[in-house]
Amino acid sequence: MPFSNPAGAHKLVVDAFYGNVTVKGYQGQDVVIEYTRGGSAGPNRGRRKPEEPPPPGMRRIGGNRDLEVTESANTVTVKNNILSAVSNVVIQTPADTSVTVKVISGRSIDIDNLSGEIEAHNMNGTVKITNASGAVVAHSMNGNVTASLNRVPADKMMSFSTFNGDIDVSLPADSKATFKMRADNGDIFSDFDVKLEGQSAPQIVEEKDNKGGIRRRVRRDGTQTGSINGGGPEMQFTTFDGRIVIHKKQAPAPTPAPAR
Amino acid sequence: MTCGQAKRLFADHWSQSLSADQEIALEAHLGGCDVCRPEADRLGALWSDLARLPAEEPGPGLRPRFYDLLRGARSQPASANKPQMSWRIAAGIALLAAGVPIGYALRPKDPELAQLREEVSSMRQLVALSLLQQQSASERLRGVSWAYRAEPSDSEVLRALLDRVNSDPNVNVRLAAVDALHAFGSSDAARKAVLGSLEKQDAPLVQVAIVDLLVDLHDRDAKPVLRRMARNVSTDAGVRQRVQWALEKLQ
Repeated sequence: MPFSNPAGAHKLVVDAFYGNVTVKGYQGQDVVIEYTRGGSAGPNRGRRKPEEPPPPGMRRIGGNRDLEVTESANTVTVKNNILSAVSNVVIQTPADTSVTVKVISGRSIDIDNLSGEIEAHNMNGTVKITNASGAVVAHSMNGNVTASLNRVPADKMMSFSTFNGDIDVSLPADSKATFKMRADNGDIFSDFDVKLEGQSAPQIVEEKDNKGGIRRRVRRDGTQTGSINGGGPEMQFTTFDGRIVIHKKQAPAPTPAPAR
Repeated sequence: MTCGQAKRLFADHWSQSLSADQEIALEAHLGGCDVCRPEADRLGALWSDLARLPAEEPGPGLRPRFYDLLRGARSQPASANKPQMSWRIAAGIALLAAGVPIGYALRPKDPELAQLREEVSSMRQLVALSLLQQQSASERLRGVSWAYRAEPSDSEVLRALLDRVNSDPNVNVRLAAVDALHAFGSSDAARKAVLGSLEKQDAPLVQVAIVDLLVDLHDRDAKPVLRRMARNVSTDAGVRQRVQWALEKLQ
């Protein structure tokens, strides 16, 4: 599916009720969509008509149980609704496209090699982002969010969140960033030299109790702020039940020359 | 384009990040609007002036006074303790005496400063409101971070933040907007709106954030809503646990 104006800013929106979605950046100008239909088990299996074999002697010539793909104002929208037969979608799009992927019941979202802005939302499944060079805003309700960034753009904010799941993000070792982290029921780990702000002793907060007196309580660890390499654009990490791990990405080892 | 819409585009216009269509529409509005055009000119001049603000320069008397002091210090031999001590005291007094007229000459002219402050705060509001309307989730996140710098009495920013909490398509933006609302807790309208928003939220992360906010604001009016949530089995168990904790804290 071509964009109406390939030279202008372009966007891809994937709105899938279920299905595993993979988006890859590539050198071309159009959006290329491949999909497989399948009987992958989803919680809504009962609602879909099961794949019936075609009546004898017949072959499929049409019918509308697949994806809905539209393009308008330089935005390509790929929709996969609840009654669709599509289970896996693989999309290739120009590497500088801004991509928004939303999946309700799919197992995974995989996004690779994009320099545009990435917005990924998976209700019940993982979000895996690799080779990203733009801003990333990712969320999974029940699943892990894993991201490997090739760079941290100096003027963009990023945010990663999960409700039940871990957040695992890798950044180049020389990235400058300021982290805002909150793990309500989990630990936060990093091999970066993170300069943490704020007190190390637990804060004691005084409040009025309902008898008019003063009661003190230890304040639960709220959001922590830290910075690496002097600080930079803000990156937010929030989990309710999961851990946050921020990796220092090693420079890739030089690939050995292929043996001839 | 209405005046309100035009004003929201100012900040982008000066930072040259408007699309061609928006530029044309904005220029058309400014061409015809006698209220917005002078405002745009004034604020635009301020925008470029802010970038060019020079560092404060001390008055002309500083240099000769300083060298006098230095010459005086050099001509005294630094040998015996006693003369050195009294010289130090004298030098301290001299510096104080030199500093007072400098500070007096440098004092900002009061009415101008107040106006400057007001214009900077209006600028911050414009930037926050403009970013909060952007298509890109990352830009809306930046808008929320600008909203932290707004005045707690700024009702337009408050309204925009509440709007994000209630209807932003991106969970992370809603979450960030809830966090920014901590600063607006003194407003009754804000508290009521946050409470109203709680039952409409479907993302458990945002529900937990709002419950935490209500506890931080000591909002006892929240108790009936929280009790309803605690009994509702379709709410996630982790959220219900947090609601129970909140009910205890709000006793």
